[in-house]
Parts: sequence; C-alpha cells; structure tokens
Amino acid sequence: MKAPQPPKWADRFLRWFCSPEQVEILQGDLHELYHERLSRGGRSKANLIFIAEVFDLLRPFAIKRKRTRKINSTDMLRNYLIVAIRNIRNQKIYSGINITGLAIGLACFILVSLYILDELSYDRMHSKADRIYRLTEKFESDGVGEHSASQPFPVGPTLVNDFPSLVEKSVRLFNFQSPTLALANRKLDKEFNESSIFFADSTFLDVFDFEMLAGNKETALDEPNSILITRSMAKKYFDDDDPMGQILEFQGAENYAVTGILEDAPLNAHFQFDFIISFSSLKNIYGGRYPRTWYWNPCWTYVVLPQNTAPETFHDQMPGFIDKYFPDFIKEDLTLILQPLTDIHLHSKLDYEIQANGNSNNVYIFSGVAILVLLIAVINFINLSTARASKRAKEVGIRKTLGSSKGKLVNQFILESVMYTFFAVVLSLVIVFLTLPYFNQLAEKSISLITLLTPTYIISLFGLIILVGLSSGFYPAFVLSSFSTISVLKNSHLKIRGFGFRRVLVAAQFVISMMLIVSTIIAISQLQYLQDDDLGFNKEHVIMIPVIRSPMGQHYKSFKAEAMKSPDIISMTAVEEIVGAKHQVANYQFGEMERSKPFPHFQMRHDFVRTFNIPMAAGRAYDENILSDDSAALVINEALVRNLGWEDAESAIGKPVKFGSRPNGRVVGVVKDYNFVSKHHPIAPLVLQLNLHSRAFELFIKYVAVRVQAENTQAAIDHLDQTWKKFIPNRPFDFFFLDDKLNDSYRAEQKLTKVTIAFSMLAILVACLGLFGLATYSVEQRTKEIGVRKVLGISPGDIMWLLSKEFLIIIAISILISTPLSYFLLNEWLNGFAYRVAITLWPFLIAGFTTLIVAIATVSYHAFRASHINPVEVLKYE
Amino acid sequence: MKRTQLGEFEELVLLIVGALHDDAYSISVKKELKDRTGRNPSIGALHSALNRLEEKGFINSTEGGATKERGGRRKRYYQITNAGKKAIQTAYELRTELYKLVPGMNMQ
Repeated sequence: MKAPQPPKWADRFLRWFCSPEQVEILQGDLHELYHERLSRGGRSKANLIFIAEVFDLLRPFAIKRKRTRKINSTDMLRNYLIVAIRNIRNQKIYSGINITGLAIGLACFILVSLYILDELSYDRMHSKADRIYRLTEKFESDGVGEHSASQPFPVGPTLVNDFPSLVEKSVRLFNFQSPTLALANRKLDKEFNESSIFFADSTFLDVFDFEMLAGNKETALDEPNSILITRSMAKKYFDDDDPMGQILEFQGAENYAVTGILEDAPLNAHFQFDFIISFSSLKNIYGGRYPRTWYWNPCWTYVVLPQNTAPETFHDQMPGFIDKYFPDFIKEDLTLILQPLTDIHLHSKLDYEIQANGNSNNVYIFSGVAILVLLIAVINFINLSTARASKRAKEVGIRKTLGSSKGKLVNQFILESVMYTFFAVVLSLVIVFLTLPYFNQLAEKSISLITLLTPTYIISLFGLIILVGLSSGFYPAFVLSSFSTISVLKNSHLKIRGFGFRRVLVAAQFVISMMLIVSTIIAISQLQYLQDDDLGFNKEHVIMIPVIRSPMGQHYKSFKAEAMKSPDIISMTAVEEIVGAKHQVANYQFGEMERSKPFPHFQMRHDFVRTFNIPMAAGRAYDENILSDDSAALVINEALVRNLGWEDAESAIGKPVKFGSRPNGRVVGVVKDYNFVSKHHPIAPLVLQLNLHSRAFELFIKYVAVRVQAENTQAAIDHLDQTWKKFIPNRPFDFFFLDDKLNDSYRAEQKLTKVTIAFSMLAILVACLGLFGLATYSVEQRTKEIGVRKVLGISPGDIMWLLSKEFLIIIAISILISTPLSYFLLNEWLNGFAYRVAITLWPFLIAGFTTLIVAIATVSYHAFRASHINPVEVLKYE
Repeated sequence: MKRTQLGEFEELVLLIVGALHDDAYSISVKKELKDRTGRNPSIGALHSALNRLEEKGFINSTEGGATKERGGRRKRYYQITNAGKKAIQTAYELRTELYKLVPGMNMQ
C-alpha cells in the first residue's frame, strides 16, 4: 500500500517559491517530519502542520531570487563578438552566402527607398507648397470631352480680382502648347530650338521659390520683353559673357532682354524650364492684348490660397464664377477643380499636362518588389542560421553548463545576427554606391549619394540594421538557446526543432520568386503589346517636323510641292498634334442634337489619311479639289458614329453638323477607328477637321508629317532639310520619328519593366543562394544516413531522389500558392489598361520550370557530392 | 575586523551541531534541541539559523543520505568548523569571566 503523502498543492507551492539550492533539503525535511508525525498521530493534523511549515518557510533565505550575481557584461560582450567573428571566419561559405544575400536585399531596399523619397519630394521645395493649387478644368458631356490641366487666359487674373480674400496670388504659364520654340543669340550666332520655354506672370517668383542667381526677384518679370534664363542656358547662349541685359531673339521675330539668371530647374519639379519670359510680352504677339476667349484654355494656372483655407471654400464659389464668365454653350459641361501642387507629380494624369508625370502605381509596385526582395533575404538568413544550428549546439551546451541562462544565449545570438546585418548593411552601401549610376539610368533619375548622408537617413539606416537584425535573429536565437544541455553534450542524435517552419519559409521564398518571374514576363508582353500592336494607322517611317509659329504657314503649299518632287517622299500633311498621342477638344452639334457638345477633335491639312494609312469605313477623305471642304465638310471616326447612335458608317454620310461659325456642315467621310491617343485609353469619338486657314500655323497646326520611303529615309531627310532651308532659312530644321515619340507614351511601363526585371533577377539569385545554403546543411545532416544507405547498396539516382524529394514537394506547393496569387495581382494591374494582354498559361509554366530547374541544379550539386561519400569516412567514428 | 555576533539561538544550534558530531542534520538537531531545552523551533526557523551559521563560516555542510521517508531526497549534514569552535570558546570565556564578576557566584 502506498504511504499517505502530504497535500500536493502545498508541496507544489513549496517547489514554486523555493530556491533551487534549498528545495531538495527543505522538502526532504518536511516530508521526513510529516511521516514521523503520521506514525504518531492523525493524518489531518500532520497535513495541517505540513502546510503551516510550508508557509513558515516563506523566509528570505529560502525564497527563489533572481540571480543578482554580477557578471562582467562588457567582458561577456567582448566574448560574444569574438565568437561571432570566429564563426564568420570559420564558415566562410555560409557567412558569405548569408551576408551577400542580406546585402543584396538591403541594397535593393535602399535604392528603392531613395527612388521613392525622390518621387515624394516633388514640388515640396516651395515655401508655400501646401497652399499652391493648380486649377484644372473638367469639360465633359456623357464622359466625352477633356479633363484639362490648363485654363483660358483670363481665369487667373479674374479670380484674384473677384475673390481677393480667397486667392492670394495666381500665376499663369503658357508655351503655345508647342513642342519647341526657337531662340537665338545673333551676336554669337547661336540658334536653337528650345523645348522648355514658358511665358509666366510677374508673380512667378512670388508663388514658386526658384533660386535666382542674378537679377531682381521682385521686378525681373515686370516689363514686357524680359526673359529669365537658367545657369546652363546662360552658358549655352552666352558662353562666358555676362548675359544680364543682353538680347535673345524669339522665333526670329521678337527681341527679349535677359533680366535675371535662375538656378537650373530642380529635377523634382513637375515642370522643367530653361527660360521664363514675362507674360506681358504676349500682348505684342497677340496684337496688343491678351486673348480674351473663355473657351480656348492654354494657360496652366496656379493659385495660392491664404493660410488655413480649405479648397472646398474655393470650390463653393466656382459654379457662380463659371456662370458669370464662361460661354453659354459650355457652362453646363464645365467644372473647375483645384489640384494640390504636391499631388501633381504622382497623381495627375490629365489632358495637356506640361510634361509626363510620375506614376503612383509604379511607386507602389517598386516598393512592393523591394520589400519582397528584402523579405527573401531575411528568410534566407533565418533559414541558414537555424539550419546550421547543429554546428553551434556544442557551444550552446558548454555555455549552459558554465552558467549561461537561456536569456543570455538569446541575447548572444541576436547580437550575432545584428552584427551580420551590420556587415550586410556596410556591403549593401558599397553595392548602392557602385550601382547608383546604373539605377539612376534605369529609373531615369539623378539621385545623388548625398541623400544617404542626411541625418534622418542615417538614423533610419541604423533602425534598419536593428530591425532586420532582430527579426532575422529572433527565431534562430530561440531555436539555438533551447537545446537541452545534456543531450547536446552527450552527442546523442540532435533533432533540430523548426524544420517545418523552415519549409514554410522556403516555400514563401519560392512563391515570391515565381510571382516576380510571372509578373516580369507579363509586364514585358504587355509593354510589347502596347508598343507594337496595330494602332489602326501606320506609325513607321513618318517624319514629324515641328512648325508652329514658324513662317511655314506662308510657305506650306510651295514647300509641299517642292518636297514632293523627291521620289523618296510618299506623302505629306500637316497636323495639330502628334498622331497617336494627343488631341484637342471642340464643340460640335451633330444631326438632331439640341445643343453643341465637346468632342475630341484633330485639325489637319489634306492627305492626312493617305500619310498615315488610315482606312476609310465610308465616304471620302478631304479632297483638295473640293473647295468647300474646309467650311462645309467633316470626317469623323466610327466610335463617334456609335456614340451618336447612328446605324452604321454609311448612314452617317451626309448628316448635318454645325460647328464654329459654320452652320451648314455635312459629314462626308468616316474613318475606321484608330488609337489617336496612347493605349491606356480606349478609342473615343473623334472629329477630323480640315483647317486651311492662312493663320492656322500660328496656333493650331504644330507639325508637318511626312511619310518617306522605308529604304531611303536618310535621303528623304536630306531633301526635306534642303527644301526647309530654301523657304525658311532663318530657322533651324528640326524633326523626329513618329514611332520613337509614340513609344515615349509608354515610358512608365518601360521603366517598370526594366526595374522589375532587375529586381526579379536579384530576388531569384538571393533565393538560390538560400536554397544552396539550405541544401548544404540538409545534406550535412544526413551524411551518416547516406553512408549507411550506401553500405546497404543505394544507387546514385536514389540518393538524388532522396535529397531532392523534399525540395520538389516544397516547390510544388509554392507553385500551387503563387499561381492564383500572381494571377489575381496581375489581373488587377492589367485592368488599368484599356488594351491589355490576356493572361495565358505559359508565363506560369516558365516560372514553374525555371524555379524547378534552378532548384534541382542547386540540390543536385549536393546530391552529387553526397553520392561520392565514402561510407568508411562518415561512419568510422561510430 | 568586524566581529561576528553569535545569537543565543544560534549558539545553541551551533553547540548541538558540534555535539552530534557526524549525525548533525536538521531533523536530528531539532530533536536534540527539543530533548535538551524543550524548545521546538519550526523547520523554517531552524534552517534560517543554520544558514546564517553557514554564512558566518561556523559550520560546513555536505549532502547525502537519502531515505525513503524523505521521498528519496538527500539530507544536508553539518559539521562545526574551527571558526565555529573558536566562536564557542570565545562565548564560553566571555561568559565565565562575567560570571566571576557576579558576587556570590563561585565557579571555582
């Protein structure tokens, strides 16, 4: 029979509070006394006394205390560092893989963070940046029309005049919407076509804080015919002369005096300027006064609101303002909206932007990819550190025997991983330093390394070291410190915990890698689709010559006749905008419509459809022999036919249309739909309007477009150059190829593709490093097993299977996870395009196979080595 | 040098540990104390005295002698050290000298 025992809870309570050195003796005493009392008297009395004695033991000497023994922690720290450095040195391959992998991940992260910081810094250099807004104009009827970044001429000054308490200042920018304008310094015989000239109100330097190197900030733009030039332009036009007060000739006609020199426009401003001309100079060009129309909207208009004024207060006034000034026929379709200056670069995608803006999507995608690469690198680190835990097991055992507590070991290993991270950060900074020029090229930036030296950046870098070090060191530290002292030192079979967890991590790496591969392939094919797919017109072998505000207007007919004499020139026309990139908007009243509505329109000269090979759906193109064509005929596209609800192209012919001052127009032709803007947008209704007005070249017609023989492009260009010189000798000849220009519309996608390709390759590289390291240890763990198996006669093929099996299963699972995930994400991205490729199976197959092959190649290296193991070597110590 | 104090209870315990020679452990000390003086200290009180004595260097301890009643737990045996003997000696001499000064007491 079992002897009665004292109350368990009291016993347990004793064990809980009692210090380990005392507990055995005290408990023994109490038990001995208990049994003695038991033999003398009742059990309950013995129990009671036992309990009393337990509580009586709540005395200082017996109670468990936190160890207060002092450990010289600086010495321990030095020991940790020495051990860590020895470990790095003794396991060069492992440490190399670990540090390199992490460094690559960190370098990607740092580069992208530099990129994002730069993107976010746009237009924030102005002291009033938070109060400056650009006024935009939404002019739409049933979704057709424009959302314009610019305003009619009178809007800016009228706002300041009508709402003095709401609008502190306004400034207008204007450049004839012309791609280039000519400037010349006759003195030094320097003459160029410039693309960054703006006319600006005298308030320009009050609103924006651009740095001025010479001249008076207050008055520089006050007088008509004043021009501010940037530092590099001063060099370009005046060499080493002092430009102040000197004369620049504008468009071969006006003379402007230099009244100031500006620092070059900051690259993180949403508009880049080389020249600022006083707005009042325009009066002269427009015959003594500014254009007074409230319909034509060519001026980018910025306003400064007073401190603490919400844009809503301003918006509230707009309906009244529109009603008061804008023409009746557009009032109903018009809204004026403020756009914060600092939102323009990343979020604005309006019609008639000054220049192409950034893309917030790209920022998100880049940061996502960078974080993924860093994640892969951190996973690597965790995997490798845990995997090689067996190597450190003895050390852990000895440390524990010598009195190291679990907490101390955790500290040690975390310290070690922070150290690894530190080395990795140093290496990554070297990588960043070396690759920044290439990255700048790739991302079309000019980020300097100085950004890295700002205090905030240095602090965040240290934060990054700590964060990455902690997060990657945490798990290995716990696994390592939890080894049981005895089993480690007895060298019994060591089972490392957390292998399942590591499998999950490896799978995560593969999922990320495969997603990146799939995304890269699909991004490339989408880009190709955008650039190369049929546009509905032929963009190849078309030369565009900018001609706005040149004397071309007077010479066009004879220029064309002379140019067409060359057999290398097939056809010539003149157009309002770059075909396939841009259009304007005008009001038309078709058929039974009650009032006119805004429609995209495009003005051109004869031979337009011939030059661009646009097929007709019905009717005819404009004909040089029909003199009434420019006043009474219109050509439209099929989308417009559908938009108006007409049956088909044929039925549209002869329908009445009123436009401008011409009440008796007829639709004479319908062209097949073509992409008149980039493929980000679906094909909208479009009106093609013949403009034969003698002054059309001053405002509307901006380019002469020439189709040339594919084989003799150079000869055709030479001929055009000579013909140009014959008619317009005092203006430089300038041209570009249409297809090059159109590809510029997809700059954002090109950039995105390039960056994702680079990052995906890095991600895969890092993932492979990790796999390689992991396979090394997986094989090392099993050398004895393989030795035994070899003795029993396993074949090399079976060894291969034995070792790769595990990784193959992981890859299979990763494929299953990554496929739907990437399908979903890419589908979202592609939905942002009006024209998109379908997601097919093959990118997924490629990603799967690539990963599989790379993984097998990595593992088989080890399998090969393992199959050459000499069983005697690995088993002899048993 | 700081003089180590020896309390009255401590002195008794120290004497008993010395008297019990090799058989001094908590329970036997407790029994001896009870038999000789009638005092029955709790295990906690006894152990704290023993601990103090050990800290002062008057006794040493070794572990051993697990028995069934103790659930297989070891005992802690105590031996008096030379310092302990000296401390008893000092206490004894001090008392004797003081007794001599009390009139009517004749301690030879």
